[in-house]
This record gives sequence, C-alpha cells and structure tokens, in this order.
Amino acid sequence: MQQGDDAPRSVRFALRLFQWCLRMLPEPLRRDFGVEIGADFRELAKGAHGRGGALAVLLVLLRSTVDVLLRSLSERWVSDHESFSEAERRLSLGERIMLLGQELRLALRGIIRRPGFTTVAVLTLALGIGANVAIFAVVNAVLIRPLPYTASERIVWFNHHAPGLNLPEMESSAGTITLYRELAKSYESIAAIVVGETNLSGTADPARITVLRTTPSIFDVLRLRPEMGRRLIESDAARGAPRVALLSYRGWQTHFGGARDVIGRTIRLDDEVTEIVGVMPKHFAHPTPEIEVVVPMLVAREDGFSAFGIGAIARLAPGATLEAARAEAIRLQPRISELYPDVKAEFLKKAGWRVTVVSMRDRLVGDAETALWIVLGTVGFLLLVACASVANLFLVRAEGRQREVGIRFALGATRSRVASTFLSESLVLGIAGGAWGLLLAFLGVRAIVAAAPPQLPRVQEISVDLRVMLFAAAVSIAAGLVFGILPLPGQMRRPLHGLARAGRGHTIGRDRQRVRKALIVTQIALAVVLITGSGLMLRSFNRLRAVDPGIRPDGVLTLGVSIGEQIEKPRAAAAYQRMVDEMRSTPGARYAAVTNSLPLRSDGINGGSFFIKSKPRAEGTLPPVAMYSVVSDGFFQTMGIPIHQGRGIERADHENKRSVAVVNESFARSFLDGKAMGEFISFGDDSVWIEIVGVVGDVRTFGLREEIRPTAYLPMTTHIETARIGLMYLVARTDSDPIALVPSARAVVRRVAPATPVTTARTMNDVLRESVADTSFTTTILLIAALVALALGAIGLYGVIGYVVSQRTQEIGVRIALGAIPSQVRTMVLRQGLVLAGVGVALGLGAAVALTRVLQSLLFEVDSRDPLTFALVPAVMLTVSGIAAYLPARRASSVSPLEAIRAE
Amino acid sequence: MPKRDSIDRFLPLKPVAFHILLALAEGPRHGYAIRAAVEELTQKGIRLWPATLYGSVRQLTAAGLMEPIDGDGDPDDDARRRYYQLTRLGRRVLAADTERLRAIVEYARGTRAIAET
Repeated sequence: MQQGDDAPRSVRFALRLFQWCLRMLPEPLRRDFGVEIGADFRELAKGAHGRGGALAVLLVLLRSTVDVLLRSLSERWVSDHESFSEAERRLSLGERIMLLGQELRLALRGIIRRPGFTTVAVLTLALGIGANVAIFAVVNAVLIRPLPYTASERIVWFNHHAPGLNLPEMESSAGTITLYRELAKSYESIAAIVVGETNLSGTADPARITVLRTTPSIFDVLRLRPEMGRRLIESDAARGAPRVALLSYRGWQTHFGGARDVIGRTIRLDDEVTEIVGVMPKHFAHPTPEIEVVVPMLVAREDGFSAFGIGAIARLAPGATLEAARAEAIRLQPRISELYPDVKAEFLKKAGWRVTVVSMRDRLVGDAETALWIVLGTVGFLLLVACASVANLFLVRAEGRQREVGIRFALGATRSRVASTFLSESLVLGIAGGAWGLLLAFLGVRAIVAAAPPQLPRVQEISVDLRVMLFAAAVSIAAGLVFGILPLPGQMRRPLHGLARAGRGHTIGRDRQRVRKALIVTQIALAVVLITGSGLMLRSFNRLRAVDPGIRPDGVLTLGVSIGEQIEKPRAAAAYQRMVDEMRSTPGARYAAVTNSLPLRSDGINGGSFFIKSKPRAEGTLPPVAMYSVVSDGFFQTMGIPIHQGRGIERADHENKRSVAVVNESFARSFLDGKAMGEFISFGDDSVWIEIVGVVGDVRTFGLREEIRPTAYLPMTTHIETARIGLMYLVARTDSDPIALVPSARAVVRRVAPATPVTTARTMNDVLRESVADTSFTTTILLIAALVALALGAIGLYGVIGYVVSQRTQEIGVRIALGAIPSQVRTMVLRQGLVLAGVGVALGLGAAVALTRVLQSLLFEVDSRDPLTFALVPAVMLTVSGIAAYLPARRASSVSPLEAIRAE
Repeated sequence: MPKRDSIDRFLPLKPVAFHILLALAEGPRHGYAIRAAVEELTQKGIRLWPATLYGSVRQLTAAGLMEPIDGDGDPDDDARRRYYQLTRLGRRVLAADTERLRAIVEYARGTRAIAET
C-alpha cells in the first residue's frame, strides 16, 4: 500500500496498529474509505514525527484511535442525518438526564397501566433471576471466595497413592510428614491434622464433641492468632507434657457461653484432665466448622511410615510455586527408604507409590466444583428461557402499541428515541424482576443451606454478600437488555399505515411473527437441553437407587453410643452386650446389635493387609488388603444381610474371646476362590490366626456409587488394635416406624452406662438417602429448571399459535364456508405448531448432544448420550407442544363463518 | 433546482459538516486538503481526525451534498487520492446555512451589548 520506505519506523509501526484498530469501523465506511483513512493517518503521523518525534506519533495514534472508536459507535447508533444535521435539537447533558428520567417515568407509567402483563413478566423474570442469584451465592461461597486465611492460596494438601496395594488415595503418615519436614525446601511449615471425636466432661453437660488433633505448627500454616489466651507451642505436644487444649470459637460459645474467664479452667477430654489455654479465632473452621476443641499432637519420625490417616497441610515457602513444591515432593519419594530402611524401593515401585500436592481450596471443594458449575449453567439456561418468554410478551404487546409508535414517528421522533422508550421499559421490568428475584434468592439460599447435601463443602459460608448483590444487579440489567433488544426489530418498523390502521398491516404482523417464531424455537430448544440434562440425571439417580445396598434398611434405627477408648475392650464389649440384650427385650424391637461402622458410610471401618495361612505369600509379592468391621451377634439379622455359609458372629465369640471372623462374598471370591469356610487369616504382622466361620452377602460399605470391598466382620473382643469399639452404633430392627424406638433406645443406654454420650438417632433409610444426597440435589435443581422451561415453552407456543389463529379467523371462516371440514382446519393449525416445536426439538437435541457431555462425571452407569433419554425427550416435548397447539386449533375449527366475517 | 424544504431538512448543519462543505466551496479538494483547510480556518478549533473526517465525507456524499470526482489538476498530489466537490444541493445547503448564520450575526451586531463594545 502507501507505506513508503521513507517513513520513520515509529510511523510505520503506528500505522500498522492503527490499521488493526480500523477493524472496529462498520463495514461500509471501512470498505469505501479504509485506504484513505490509513493514508491520512500516515501523513498526520509523519508530520507529527517531524515536529516532535516518536512521542508525538504516539499522541496522534492515541487521538486517532479514540476517534475511530467514537466514530464506530456513532456510525452504528446514530442515523446519518442526525449525525451531521442539527435538525433534531442538540441536547445538553442535563437535558439528556432529564430526558432519561422522563423516559423512565413514562416506562413506569406504561408498566403500571398494564398490571396483567407486568405481573407475568416480573414473575417470570424473578424466577429466572432468583434461581441464578441463589445458585451464584453458593458458587461464590464455595468456589470463588478464598478460604478465610491469610494468603490462603499458598496452603497445600498432600495425597498419597498406592494403587498396587488397592489404596488409590490416602492422606499422609508420620513418615511422609517427617520426609517433607526434614528434606523439602518448598514448604515454610507443615502441620498434621486429624479430626476425631472425644467425650467432653467437667462442664455443665457432658457431650460427644468433634476434636481436632494437630501439631502446633497449624498456627503457622494457617497464620492464626488465638482470639484469647495463647497458641499451641512445640512443648505442648511433647510426650508427657501436661494436657492443654484450645476451644474453638463455637466450642467456647456452646459449652462456656463465651465466658471471658475460661482460660485456665480444666475440662476432661475422654476422662483426661486438660487445661484450656486459649480460644481459636472465629474464622477458624478447618477442616470442618464442627470442631469444638483443638488439642496438640506429636508427629515423630519413630511413629513409622505406614500408619496413614493423618492429614497434612503446608504453607509454601516464600518464592516457591505450587508446581515447584509439587515437583520437589515427587523428587523426594525415593528417599523414603533413607528414613525408613525397611520400606524398600522395590516395594514402593510395586505399590505404584505416588504423591500429589493440591491447593487446600481444591481439596476442600473437591467434586462439588463440576456439579456447581453445571447447576449454575442450568439456571443460566432457565434465565434465557425466561428472557425469551418475556420478549415474546413484549411482541404481543407491540401489536397493541402500533398506534403509539406510529404517532411518535409521525411527530418526528427518531428511531433511537423510540428504541430508548422500549429499552427503558424493559430495563425497569428487568430491575423489578431483579428486586423480586433477590428476595426469592434470599429464601432460596436458606432452602439450599437447609437442604444441602453433606458432600457440599463450606455450606456454613453461603450468604448473600456484596458480590452476590452485584451479580444480581448485573444479571437483572443484562436480562432487561436481552429481552428488550430481542423484540426491537419487530417493534421498530416505521408503521407506514400504523396510524390509519388501514388494511390489516400484514407485512408488519408477519415480521413480528417471524421474530416471535424464532423466539419460540429458541425457547423449545433450550427447554429440550434442560429436559435432556434432567432426564439423564433422573436415569442416573434411578440406577443409583436400584443398586442393591446389600441390606434391608426399612425399619432399622441407628444410634451412636460412645463409651470411649479408655475402657478396656472386654469391659466395653460387656457393656455394649448388655445394651443389645436390653434393646432386644424392648417391645417392638425384633432384632438389635452394635457395630463400629454403619453400612454406606465410610467412618469407623478400617482396612489393612492380611495373610492367608493356606497360601503363604511368595517373597516380594504384595499382601492382599481387606476392610474389617466390628459387630455383635444379631448384626446380620438386624441389617438384613443374608448368611450364605456357616454362621454369623455369636455371643459366645465375645464371651470366650474367640478368634473368628465372618467374611463377605467378595472376600471369599477374591482371595479364596469362594471356599472360605475353615480358612485362617491374620491381620498385620502378628501370628494370631483368625478362623473364618461364615460367609455373608456383600454390602455397599462406602456408599452406593462405590465398589464393594472385601470385608471381614470381627467380634467385639477382637485382639486387633485398630478395630476400635470406643464409638459403636446401636442398631435395632422393628416392624413399625423405627423412630418410635428412639426413646427406649436412649433409655437403654442411660440404664446401662449413665454418663455415656449418644449421637443423633437416624434411621438406616436416612443414612441411605444421605449417601445419594449430592446426586439428588443436582437432579432436583435440574428437574425444577426443566419443568419451568417446559411450561414456559408450552405457554409461549400456545400464545403464538393462538395469535396466528386469531389473525386468520376470517380466512378460516371463509375456508369453512367453502366446505373445509373442521378436522382439516384443526390439522392445519396443529401442523403449524408442531413444525415450530419440531425445529426447536431438533436444534435442542443437537445442543444437548454437545452440552450433556459435561454431565458425564456426575452420571452413574448412564452414558451422556443415553438412547432412552434422547428418545423420550423429543416425545415429551412434542406431546406437550401438541397439547399447547391443539387448544387454539380446536378454537379455529369451531369458527363460525358468519362470525368471522362480522368480526372484520 | 432542489426544493426549498429538501434544503431545510439539513438545517442547521453541525459545525463539522458546515466546515467540510465550506472547505469545498472554492473548488474540489481531497480529504487531507479538506482537513488542512478546516484546521487553518478555525485555527485548529475543529480538528478532523481521520475516522471522523471520512465518516462525515461518507455521510455527506450519501446525502447528496458532495460527490467524488476523478483526480484532476495538481500533479504534486497522490494520484490515488479522491477529490470531492460540492453538488448543486450541497452548494444550496451551504448557502442557506450561511444565510442563516449571517442573519443571526447581523441581529447580534444590532443588539446593544455587542454594538457598544
């Protein structure tokens, strides 16, 4: 082009930038004058360079670019005529603001004057906006807001993996913590955390409370300063040190009513006298807000490498990145053998040993992230459907306003003025919808917090804060603009005969109809996407419900009973046995038992490697791993677990401290070729052999989604150290409502062991429901969104077809007069509706194929392109559309020719 | 001869449009020369940056007030530049707007406040 070689470099460079900016200009101007604009700019820049060098060129570039931006706006928004002639008066800023106020007042008046239209529009919007704001409040609290600690993005968490040992994901052990503490340079401080329960006494009410055992370094990792008193120091954790504890803010309020003089008081934790030395800050809730007491814990190298189950958090050292820290942790793994010579490199290799380091936020948020974004996307779609609905209402109303628009044009109003009237109306409606939506969102947030699945983290932090408010405002205004702009083309035609109302204004009507039809197709397509999504979730949910839990949960009550770890096993077992006996003699209770782990919940149960007497392990091979659970006699009958071979655990097993076990089918099949009876196994390295005396049915130990694990059931007096019975669940089966058993169950515990804390009583069905709560939460929201979208789509279709029928009344009358049969007329109208629905369904299915893929990770045994769902959804949508179109079709077929002609 | 009301509907012209038309009153000019003339006359009171200049040129051309002609005369100028001239309508509109301004100026001169200074 004109780039002469004579131009200085800065000019050529500026020209290139400027030409890139020219893309902003609308096509006609760029096409006809682009070359000249560029050439002119080059001259200007050259001149500037001659006067003031590169800096002057830069100023010219800036000024010209701003000019391009302004021009490209005015070319688009201001008519040619308005832009060079002042035939329409120029307005000062003050006048413009006054005009805007007037416009809004006018809009408000127009809205108030049409209460029916307004109510429907505002309600539809409020629903859409409310749902979005409520879900955004959740997303904001769970995903967006940082954790409440200083520079919380620098806090990380360690996961270890040993797939070769059947342990795909573990936390940390004293060994790995020692490894990172002693050898890693990327971490400023590392803390161990173990959440457990303890019996609190020495206060007004003895209670079972949640306790955090942690190294004093947690104050460094989380950068905490105690609310009162002092922090934990290293000597608190030393062996034999006097016992101290800090109360969490919540524990302080609950058990001491927030008394200021709580420091120095003593309490008993599991019967050990403990001095309170401080109160944690209010925002501390790590890893759960349930924590009431924090006690020191010692993590020493001697504790060994293999006792996993300790959580480890760390703060990155200044300058270290997460990637660098991760890489260093991976590099350090082979050096485990330096610290623990008996952990051989070969063993680690066979186990597939691996470490991953993730940010604390990711660890806390976990699987909730995908589900939450999907739910937000869902309600976003719902809002689009709502906007399309309201846009359609606007178009219906535009029919009645042709006269008004005509008059305004005739009086010399410009298109931008008329458009601004319509837009102010939609903005006012959008804001009204937003206000009501915010109200709905407040209620919705409460409902969500109350109904949130236990799997949803950070629930206690969900609230409507400034960011949520801003989101609500932005969504309302955006919604107002969207449904205001969509119908504009239909509203803005200069009605040539709009004033006179001569003829029937067909061209205008048809244009508007085209926009309305496009909106309906969009609505139906969006509804199809939502219905498909919810259909997939429903199918998945059904599959999940159809999974055999391995127990019969109806009529089973559970109640946690905590005798504590201080009492030795035989005495504790005897106490539990008495509770079981008393429970059995309670009227209504058919069976009763105790266990340390409820089916479908992962707490309480343990796992470990074991040996089989008849199959000595070859050198260098990995030991098999199984779970073990402690149960009393009657457990299998109470839970409804079938005994396939041999017997269950019996009373005599506890009383005579027999070394016996009952295993599940998976255990027998995986390790003993199905012939488990009479075999001997031993857990750990001890040489106590346990005889297998029975085989029972499989139970979904960890929840319905999870694999069945090989499991052994042991009597209460088992010698295995880690099979604890400090906290047991008293379970009872009745033929009637299990909740009716609660008072007698509590009474039994009180009679046998008066000071023993009990937990909330729950039915086994509650436990089952909780294990699928996350799926049912997502499913419910998708289902509600889909139903609302379906209803809005059907109403919209009904409106459009109804309007078409009313426009064609005369034509239909003539047809009937000429001998058309009513059923023909009906079919004609119906077909019109179904064609629209069909197009929408086709588009929707196409979008659904692409979009439902994001659901895959939430689905259980259902493909995201599940043929049944994809076949049923169009059927549902077309049926509903058929009904929506049939109503006006019936009206059309009953048109009387005489009336039709008279109506003209 | 353009009708009276077809002229009136352009009045009053906005300053940029008025000055562009005025710059062409003495004969055809290309874009860069229009800018130079306007800036000189208004003592840089009106600066025509490229997009504004040619945006206005496009609009005034579309409205039939000016038109491009094939490059003429001046051999010094870039042959690729387009020259513009006033149309008959443009001339009349310019004249009418100038007349409107003249009337206003004369009235203003007649007022006491200005006559006495």
